[in-house]
Amino acid sequence: MELRRYILKRLVQITIIFFVILTVLFLLFRLAPGDPVSRMVDPDMTPEDAEQLIHQLGLDKPLGIQYLVYLKNFFTGHFGISFHYGEPVVDVIWNRLPNTILLFTTSIILSALVGIFLGKIASWHKGEKTDSVMTIGALVTHTLFLPWLALILIWVFGYKLGWFPINGMISEEVWLDPDAGFIAKGLDIGYHMILPLTTLFLIHFGAYLLIMRSSMLETLKEDYILTARAKGLEEKDIRDRHAAPNAALPVVTSVGLSLAFSINGGALTETVFTWPGIGRELVFSVSQNDYPLAQASFLLIAIVVLISNLVVDVLYAYLDPRIRY
Amino acid sequence: MALLEVEDLCIDYKTKNGYLKAVDGVSFSLERGASLGFVGESGCGKTTIGMGLMGMLPPNGVVRRGRILFEGEDLLRVSAEEMRRVRWRKIAMIFQAAMNALNPVQRVGEQVAEAMLVHNPSLGKEKALKAVEELFELVGLQTDRIRDYPHQYSGGMKQRAIIAMSLACRPSLIIADEPTTALDVIVQDQILAEIRALQKEFNIGIIFISHDISIVADMCHDIGIMYAGQLVEYGPREDVFDSPAHPYTRALLSSFPTLTGKRTDLVPIAGETPDLVHPPEGCRFYDRCQEQIPACREKVSRWVAISPGHKALCCRCEMDGR
Ligand SMILES: Nc1ncnc2c1ncn2[C@@H]1O[C@H](COP(=O)(O)OP(=O)(O)O)[C@@H](O)[C@H]1O
Ligand code: SF4
Ligand SMILES: [Mg+2]
Repeated sequence: MELRRYILKRLVQITIIFFVILTVLFLLFRLAPGDPVSRMVDPDMTPEDAEQLIHQLGLDKPLGIQYLVYLKNFFTGHFGISFHYGEPVVDVIWNRLPNTILLFTTSIILSALVGIFLGKIASWHKGEKTDSVMTIGALVTHTLFLPWLALILIWVFGYKLGWFPINGMISEEVWLDPDAGFIAKGLDIGYHMILPLTTLFLIHFGAYLLIMRSSMLETLKEDYILTARAKGLEEKDIRDRHAAPNAALPVVTSVGLSLAFSINGGALTETVFTWPGIGRELVFSVSQNDYPLAQASFLLIAIVVLISNLVVDVLYAYLDPRIRY
Repeated sequence: MALLEVEDLCIDYKTKNGYLKAVDGVSFSLERGASLGFVGESGCGKTTIGMGLMGMLPPNGVVRRGRILFEGEDLLRVSAEEMRRVRWRKIAMIFQAAMNALNPVQRVGEQVAEAMLVHNPSLGKEKALKAVEELFELVGLQTDRIRDYPHQYSGGMKQRAIIAMSLACRPSLIIADEPTTALDVIVQDQILAEIRALQKEFNIGIIFISHDISIVADMCHDIGIMYAGQLVEYGPREDVFDSPAHPYTRALLSSFPTLTGKRTDLVPIAGETPDLVHPPEGCRFYDRCQEQIPACREKVSRWVAISPGHKALCCRCEMDGR
């Protein structure tokens, strides 16, 4: 089937892109001014431990060999030891990954769905008050400065009103309670996620709303809309069944394109809300000069973005048969 | 009773310069199973008539005057909801093939079935798809293409699918607006033959719109020549072609040396069409007419009967008595 060939093609592309990222990161960390050993090996280590780590990372070998060792280490999960945590980087990051994926994907899916839905409604009411309110709202939220928005939310809903927790991902009392079941724990995470999720959602949904709105207005001029109307369909069905599925395609494309750009906001949000994810680890490790951790965080974020991109592409192919067949 | 009787139809478009009189005082009638063709240069108001009949004018379009009696009922007086139920069930429309008249993300068969299900939901999807199979056979499409998407079809196949769709509810009138304009000549002939055969088989009234006079000559019993929003000559095919009365009709015909011979495209007649926001008082063809006399400019043209059922809108016909 064509779809399989399409996915295969995208997989190959993604693999190539990933190797490019992997290589760039290698060069960045090894060829940057200064001593690579001091960047990868904690100065506080005992000489024996340092020796062993240098050997494991291949830092005592020529650059070409170092690169091969680097690749081997990557595929076997050896990223070195975090300066700050003193633990293997992979252990630090592995625990953070699900938290980031949870916040990242939920916020993207939510903002895309809500953006599509509201954009559709705005286009129905083009030129009316509903439309102006939505369009202006989307523009304003989209241009907000994220840390500022996060702090406002914390101040209003966390501090003043005290409705939601403002940091972390879980409450100790729930997770230490032996009687707390799966559902209680899940609800607790959801509860902690509300403010960071709202922050990311508010920043992102506006763009999708605006794209959907203008895409809807364009689609409504298409000839197949005339056919649908001539067929005697009700306006509601013309919009929902014929216009919206076509109009949503550019939104899906833009979700794919914006994934890479949402890293910044994601990392900032995780940091402000002390959400235990990779983004926060990245910000932290960079500020602490914890190079091994920073390098691994970069790589993992790149993987998350690339895989999300693949998912979006497959979704697009599913929605647009012109790609599939 | 005629299937369709249109009286003094006037349709305007609201533009920033004022009301553009796209259709001005057009009257005609169509018997059950008969065919009528409208010919004229691009911009003369053919599509506007079609859209007006469907009740599908764009938001800035208004019917200023007139009556559209369809099966005895004035379509300009019925509610929007009633009009919706007339569409496709009673009057179907075939659009230009170049237009992507089919939804690219839906299967062709489902789009055809939808036309039935809109007006008869109790039919059920399964039975509707069965009926689509019959329609596909009718128009010469392979039934194993029912589940294909539009982009997997050629231009001719798409147009066949639309024809199949137009027959879905067995309408009594089909409006075909330049249905073959984007197709190559061979496919065009096949499609036209198909439409003719089906029209006969199901006794459907057809309004055929084209800028190509030779196509209309092949297709229609009656012909209306349009110029700048007005009907300028109207009559049975033979009369209009054998003894064209209006200078515009003659100019059109002379650009087709032999109607039965090789088909050539319409050679534009020198000059421009008048401004339809401020149309001239007298004859609208005046500036381009080879036979103009000063009177044409001042006098509002009146219909002149040439022979029974054949008439023209021209001062000279009036005076010459031809
Ligand atoms: N939506 C519209 N708004 C304003 N003017 C229009 C609109 N649609 C068509 N017109 C004008 O009305 C006239 C008739 O157009 P149309 O019916 O499409 O002609 P045809 O189908 O014969 O080419 C043209 O002068 C065209 O420019
Ligand atoms: S009325 Fe006069 S100008 Fe107009 S078409 Fe007839 S002869 Fe020509
Ligand atoms: Mg037209």
